[in-house]
Amino acid sequence: MASTPTIPSRTETIRAWKEQGGAIAAVLPIHHPRALLRAFGLLPVEVWGPPRVDPAPGAAHLQPYVCSIVGNALSFLLRDGLEVADVILVPHACDSLQGLGSLLLDFVRPRQPVFPLYIPRGRRESDLQFLADECRALYDKLAAATGRTPSEAELMESIRREEEADGLLAELYRRRRTLPLTDLAFYRLARAREYLPAEEFAALLRAVLDTPPTDPSAGLPILLSGIVPEPMGLLDAITQMGGVVVADDLACCGRRLYPPGTSTAPFRRMAERILNAPPDPTRGSPIAERLRHLMGMARETGARGVVFYDVKFCEPELFDLPLLRRRLQEAGLPSVHIEVDLNDPLSGQILTRVEAFLEMVAHQTPEEGHR
Amino acid sequence: MNLFNALRYGWNVNVLGPAVLRLQRWQAQRRPARWDTRYLAPPLRIAPRTKELVARHWLAGRYANGYRKVAWVTSGAPVELLKALDFYVLYPENHAAICGTARVAVDIASEAESAGYSRDLCSYARTDIGAVLSGKTPVGHLPKPDVLFACTNICQTVLFWYRVLAEYFGAPLVLIDTPFVYTEEAAEHAVRYVRRQLEEAVPILERIAGKRLDERKLRQVGLLSKRASELWLEILQRCRHRPAPISVFDQFIQMAPIVEMRGDPETVDFYAALLKEVDERIATGIGAVKNERQRVLWDNLPIWYRLRYLAEFLAQHGVAVVASTYTNAWGELAPLIDPDDLWESMARTYIYPILNRGTGHKLRTMQQMVKEYQLDGAILHSDRSCKPYSIGQMDQRDRLIRELGVPALLLEADHNDFRVFAEEQVATRLAAFVEMLG
Repeated sequence: MASTPTIPSRTETIRAWKEQGGAIAAVLPIHHPRALLRAFGLLPVEVWGPPRVDPAPGAAHLQPYVCSIVGNALSFLLRDGLEVADVILVPHACDSLQGLGSLLLDFVRPRQPVFPLYIPRGRRESDLQFLADECRALYDKLAAATGRTPSEAELMESIRREEEADGLLAELYRRRRTLPLTDLAFYRLARAREYLPAEEFAALLRAVLDTPPTDPSAGLPILLSGIVPEPMGLLDAITQMGGVVVADDLACCGRRLYPPGTSTAPFRRMAERILNAPPDPTRGSPIAERLRHLMGMARETGARGVVFYDVKFCEPELFDLPLLRRRLQEAGLPSVHIEVDLNDPLSGQILTRVEAFLEMVAHQTPEEGHR
Repeated sequence: MNLFNALRYGWNVNVLGPAVLRLQRWQAQRRPARWDTRYLAPPLRIAPRTKELVARHWLAGRYANGYRKVAWVTSGAPVELLKALDFYVLYPENHAAICGTARVAVDIASEAESAGYSRDLCSYARTDIGAVLSGKTPVGHLPKPDVLFACTNICQTVLFWYRVLAEYFGAPLVLIDTPFVYTEEAAEHAVRYVRRQLEEAVPILERIAGKRLDERKLRQVGLLSKRASELWLEILQRCRHRPAPISVFDQFIQMAPIVEMRGDPETVDFYAALLKEVDERIATGIGAVKNERQRVLWDNLPIWYRLRYLAEFLAQHGVAVVASTYTNAWGELAPLIDPDDLWESMARTYIYPILNRGTGHKLRTMQQMVKEYQLDGAILHSDRSCKPYSIGQMDQRDRLIRELGVPALLLEADHNDFRVFAEEQVATRLAAFVEMLG
């Protein structure tokens, strides 16, 4: 199996974008209208932590019970890691990201403009209308910051470009088991969506999807749920232990397989895409909906177990877990929950737990599962 | 509703219960104070009445199922809608606080932890979920909800928590989502969004209540809600007086009705009586702390299981805690409520609680309180269970010290979980803080 296609690094991508006269938007997790940023010539580069950052600068502003995605993002910024960014976008996903946005605006005050974006917690007409209005308000702020005013046609063109890239990403997910990619290579590729321009990402995916299908990847099929698969070495470890990730419900990946919109009004279409994405507790999706989603993925892929891989102190995840795990177990789908701090290395303890889980699942007959 | 339930409710809530509670009040009025009166003023005369009022509220809840529709609501929710539709309104946060003061919260929360709920989750939520799972409660019995009504203006945690409750009870969850106000003014489209959700909630609530919303009744509830909030604010502002007639620890206890009985006529009567007693204290020179030398601010939720310890420790050193951003939150929005333009004013009122506003706004509120209440210092409770209230406190503390020159202490604890309260460490830090106050 091929290891990985050549994916430009973040640094290379940012440098190349800037050399073309483009600007950079540093974007915090989770959901945001990429098309809107791109219409202003801003390349969204997402900041999921990043992992393994000296946490000390952030610790001067945040208590130790705040998650490491937020703590690391602040530390990274205070260590000038975001100097390359021209604007900072902080979508609202939870109390901790809300706090970070507020801290940046009120106390830290980086040199770049900071724009919060509130993502509504429902999927009602009022939520859709609000998010469309919120995107319009962000448009106004970006216009003031950049001096540009993209037309409706330019916005629609930008949306089309993102929808195409997301469509290919969905196709990559559908065909993942017959692609010549290891789990690690698959997620390196999928996560390049976090910083590559949509057209570049799409070209990369086309090249992979054009390769002839291989035999379905062997191994014990499992689902990966949670926030972000860091350290990424976890994926290789799962492969070495005989597992294969066949689907995911990760906040950075599977929960952002945005379907195409239907509206011809650009802001409404951006809102539709975000709100119609797979279930996500940070968007207020009911637990039952997320359970159905997980069960559906397991049925489609034959997954025999779920690894919930969360960042410590993540309330949206922690509230869902007991009921999800219980009901998955009742349906014959065992699970394991692992919590990590983004600054910790992949510990032997974690690996032992994953290995024990895979062994336990392997010894369970398939008939015992999916009742 | 059947006849048996109606008779049971009427007998227990309107006849037998009140008689028993009156007797308990009579006994309480004759019981000596439990708090150390060498340093603290005797308890407020109204205290037994507070207990009676709150107990009666929970008693009504005990017999509500089958007689009245029950709504479980978050503390910052627009309860006026529910009151106008005659729901019995239960506040899980208040119930958890009662468990905290009764020191049974950890035992009940352990039930949730055994079911897989992490100790990193809000201890109110764990207490509440534990009570649901085990049936354990110090209030006798919690009625099942016919509807869950969550408003995100205090935190996102409540939404995650109520989604869990929705699964356990199979009850519909009505959400009022209030976009966080990062800047001084909420965006107009955000206010419009909140108003629209309020209007959309009405037919759902009407269907559950089995009755139409009477706009006149809603206006009346709005008026009562506004009046009670105004009285509460007046009571708090009396603490600008030296010595402060009541402390924040008194406020924490006396705030129960404004949270869980907002919109009821009894609540207005209660706070009018409390204001009268506070004014009598001022007239006779009674201070909450007998030898008030220093005055400080409290930020964040109370540490429910150590109210007495904190009150006595600080009072021994002549420190009166006289103002709090937390108790203030139930009064400061009173001017925004306009019964003549209720829908619009509800949308604005419920988007602006301090917890739905930026860290800079909270700093400005604290700075203003330091000036208005002539405060000498601030205690910022860094509450492990409440991230939205706690994030920002490190900068707020630094600014209070730097810009106003007042000592400010960040006190690590949790509002309900005593397992994270390090008593020795707290005592050492408080002692050092008191020394800094001079």
